[in-house]
Amino acid sequence: MEFEIESPKNITELCKTIKSYRSKSFRFGAGYTDLLMELKKHTPRNLTVINLAQLKDVSFSSIRSTTKNIQIGAMITASKLVTDTRIEQLFPVLQQAAHNLASTQIRQVATLGGNMCTASPSGDLICAAMALQASCEIMNDDKKIHNLSIQDFFIGVRKTALKKNEFLFAINIPRNKKRTATLHSGFIKIGTRKSMECSVVSLAFHLQIDKTGKIIDAGIAIGASAPTVKFAQSACQFLIGKKINSFSEKEKEEFANKVLSYASPISDIRATAWYRKEVLFNISKGVLE
Amino acid sequence: MSKKLKIIGTPVPKHDAKMRTTGEAIYGHDIKLPNMLYGAILRTQHPHAEFIIDVSEAKKLPGVVCIITADDVDTNHIGYKRDHPILKKNEANCTRDEIAAVAAETKEIAQEALKLIKVKYKVKKGLYNPHDALKKNVPQINKFSSGKFENKNIAEKFFYEHGNLEQEKKNSVAIVKRKFTLPRMTHACMATSNITAHYTKTNGKLLLYSSTQVPFLYQRDMAHALKMNPSDIRIIQPIIGGGFGSKLDMHPFEPICALLSIKTGKPVQILYSREEEFIASPTRQPMEIELTAGVDKNGNFTFREIEIIKDNGAYTSWGATTPFVIMQAFSSLYKIKACRFNALAVYTNNVFAGSFRGYGNPQATFALERVIDLLADEIGMDKAEIRLRNANTKGEITGQGLHYDTCGHKECLQTVIKKLKVEKKKVEKNNRFKRGIGYASMLHVGGGAKIYRSDGCGTTLKIDPYGFCTIITGSNEIGQGSETVLAMIAAEELGIELSKIKVINTDTDVKPWDVGVHASRTSFVAGNSLLGAINILKEKLNNKAAKLLNEKTKSFTYENGNIISPSNQQIALDKVVREMHFTEPNELAIASYFYEPSSKFQDKDFKGNVSGTYAFASQSISVEVDTYTGNVQVLDIHVAQDVGKVLNPLLLDGQIHGGILQGVGYALTEELIFKDGELLNPNFHNYKMLTAADVPNIHFYPVETNDKQGPYGAKGVGEAPLIPTAAAIANAVCNALDIEIVELPITPERVLKAIAEKKNNKKNK
Repeated sequence: MEFEIESPKNITELCKTIKSYRSKSFRFGAGYTDLLMELKKHTPRNLTVINLAQLKDVSFSSIRSTTKNIQIGAMITASKLVTDTRIEQLFPVLQQAAHNLASTQIRQVATLGGNMCTASPSGDLICAAMALQASCEIMNDDKKIHNLSIQDFFIGVRKTALKKNEFLFAINIPRNKKRTATLHSGFIKIGTRKSMECSVVSLAFHLQIDKTGKIIDAGIAIGASAPTVKFAQSACQFLIGKKINSFSEKEKEEFANKVLSYASPISDIRATAWYRKEVLFNISKGVLE
Repeated sequence: MSKKLKIIGTPVPKHDAKMRTTGEAIYGHDIKLPNMLYGAILRTQHPHAEFIIDVSEAKKLPGVVCIITADDVDTNHIGYKRDHPILKKNEANCTRDEIAAVAAETKEIAQEALKLIKVKYKVKKGLYNPHDALKKNVPQINKFSSGKFENKNIAEKFFYEHGNLEQEKKNSVAIVKRKFTLPRMTHACMATSNITAHYTKTNGKLLLYSSTQVPFLYQRDMAHALKMNPSDIRIIQPIIGGGFGSKLDMHPFEPICALLSIKTGKPVQILYSREEEFIASPTRQPMEIELTAGVDKNGNFTFREIEIIKDNGAYTSWGATTPFVIMQAFSSLYKIKACRFNALAVYTNNVFAGSFRGYGNPQATFALERVIDLLADEIGMDKAEIRLRNANTKGEITGQGLHYDTCGHKECLQTVIKKLKVEKKKVEKNNRFKRGIGYASMLHVGGGAKIYRSDGCGTTLKIDPYGFCTIITGSNEIGQGSETVLAMIAAEELGIELSKIKVINTDTDVKPWDVGVHASRTSFVAGNSLLGAINILKEKLNNKAAKLLNEKTKSFTYENGNIISPSNQQIALDKVVREMHFTEPNELAIASYFYEPSSKFQDKDFKGNVSGTYAFASQSISVEVDTYTGNVQVLDIHVAQDVGKVLNPLLLDGQIHGGILQGVGYALTEELIFKDGELLNPNFHNYKMLTAADVPNIHFYPVETNDKQGPYGAKGVGEAPLIPTAAAIANAVCNALDIEIVELPITPERVLKAIAEKKNNKKNK
């Protein structure tokens, strides 16, 4: 495992570094929990790692409130997401996803941006962010920022829409609706053990409910069930306008089938496609129980 | 023991605990010798292939000092059946096969050199299923096997029987027959395999820093492999980071490292990466067990008939001999009137297993205890009651000839049944989460196991003129805490404080013979050996003390560094030693003793009292199963174990907790997954060892039966805690869901499948 390393200290230096490596092979390194594993298996020759861990800009590693959004810097660690009280109150789904990630030790260094940009179909933070209908704030090496919806950010297994001169700067999560009285929000991770687990299937849900018990907004996303994390649009629409406590058994199954329609899982060493579908149906139903 | 004990029975922390936890401990990986080279092994790319190898390019790489292939060495085959070439020539037969080895100046150069070795493979279709390997017209997998059996791919066979099987079948009101499939599980020692070899050309002596569990057998095996004199080989054991049986066999990388050192005349070190550890270290023996068992109208067990097919892999290790232990469980756990046992170890192109804590017993116990539940269901008897009715008892001599001089089986069962009953009241069932309970017991050797000509252990004991004591013991420490227990025994008997007791146990040139760490034997055998040496030394010390104190008595007590007479005259122990050394007749305060347990070699029919004593244990386990996901959560594990006598409650708890967690892993998650001979999960990511977050509540109740053979009454404890765990968990899951489980591990997917099958069966009915 041999590579060069560049450690820019701020955004300006980062952009300069990216520019200077435009024609060379480089990778970004943030928490290194995925990258080192990958490079240990195979390190391409003449690789440079642009190390983001030394960036001093607060915007990279803070959680900020705006009128419409909560903005989360890409270098926020999973453990920060676990302990932040705003995340806990506003977006339990994200807090739970972060809490279920790997182990206590890994959560200290693993970053939101790393999880997003690795673009694994089983990325837990991706799944939660998608249920929250977040958007991605992308910066290029001219410091220009543009926004991309989270669904468009992922284009395949371990593939994002990022161009070579772009990096993920932050994600924006829209605030919950004003009429929202309660939340039914959570992250279900399926695996064989309680920590150090890579999701066999995951389900993120964020339902906003008004004071009459009516669902006024819904976000459902599934992980490890398709080449990318999927937003279950029709399942969300099915829920909106219905009362959270009034679902019949048939409706629950209808909802579960709608979620399942977004799944096209594979069989691999961790589970068969059969199991993934079976369990996804069951836990989807469970969301409404 | 009538005498009041001061140290034995107290929670003395492991004497090396601080050293190990702070990083001061020197493991094999920390050894660095002057001019040391780094060894690396090239393994076959295909589990079964013919190959031609060309190392010429690799040899040219600067920094490469030596490369060896089968053509460069003159060695004997290794392994329990001597059917295993150290370096393979022309043909690879399993994914681990070593085909070349490099010694280089750095680890990186050694790895680079491996890539430059050119190998042309002609891939062949392998036999990965023992049933296929037993068919006619298939090739002989191991060309070096004895060939003494009717089928060329049978590596080993076992047959045992007692009682009148046919009659007992007639006496049965219910008979159950099931086939069980058991997976490969790996030890996953925290320290990966390692060895440093240092051959001195000028005198032809070979020094090995090795993590073996059995240094004297290893010395003999190494000498045989390398065609050397055993006494020219000195084994030093660095601190060992986990054994669990994995270091009972000598593995090819060890003589390979020695060969590289012999060829280069320099020290050579081989360290496994974690991936290599998964691929190339031994596993628990996978097998199919077909068990037929019966019960009479009163609920008494009548007979057991067992057919076992073991996947031996391409070569034969100690793992092939696990039926020694498996048949004990079937012949002698619970009272059983008749038993017939057949086991085959069949060569395949899979990796070979080795010995693993429990030595076949977890597999046997899983089958046996599952069938007990089914028999209870058949006759409508309570599952606790059927076990209590058939439990083993003190004084029993089993069909196989095991003598239960002490036996805590019934007490263990009663304890765990009672404890779980209290909990059962709390159990609630709802639609999604189902709860269940399960029981299982186990029997295991508790006083060594006579599988070698001697099951003995030697001790040399000395006290120096400063009153410090050195125990030179043949036994060794692999993390189980034997050094601490031995020091406690010496402290108890000699009245010397623990900080003044040293244990020397790592050097075959220094220590007396011992068969090694296995069969939960160390506290029992090495403890008795030490007590024997203490008695001899005390006689000498008593004589001198009597002279110095002008006492007629030879009966002294030893306390707080003093030797005290019945009339309360006392003299410092160190003073007595100095007087022994420095006044006439000038003798050393030293004694040696060799302890041989009373056990007997079994006869050709596998009958005989193979151990000094036997350990029993029972577990009752409650689980909650999520029927939506198939996940099994183990809630509470109650374990009662007949330990003879608690020597150190802290270390005992460590063994219980560690063993049980290994058992839970065996039950629920741990499995090496192979496809056509290749390992698909050589990492902790996909080999699912449990984590701290998965630990259930463990409640331990030691049962003391005070065996007269054991040191202070103690029995072996190390393997027992993991043996019944998987069986009890499986019983609890079946109880929760009303399904059948015939395969481990009980993964969430297998649980959901079983639930789906049950639904389908209902529909079809």
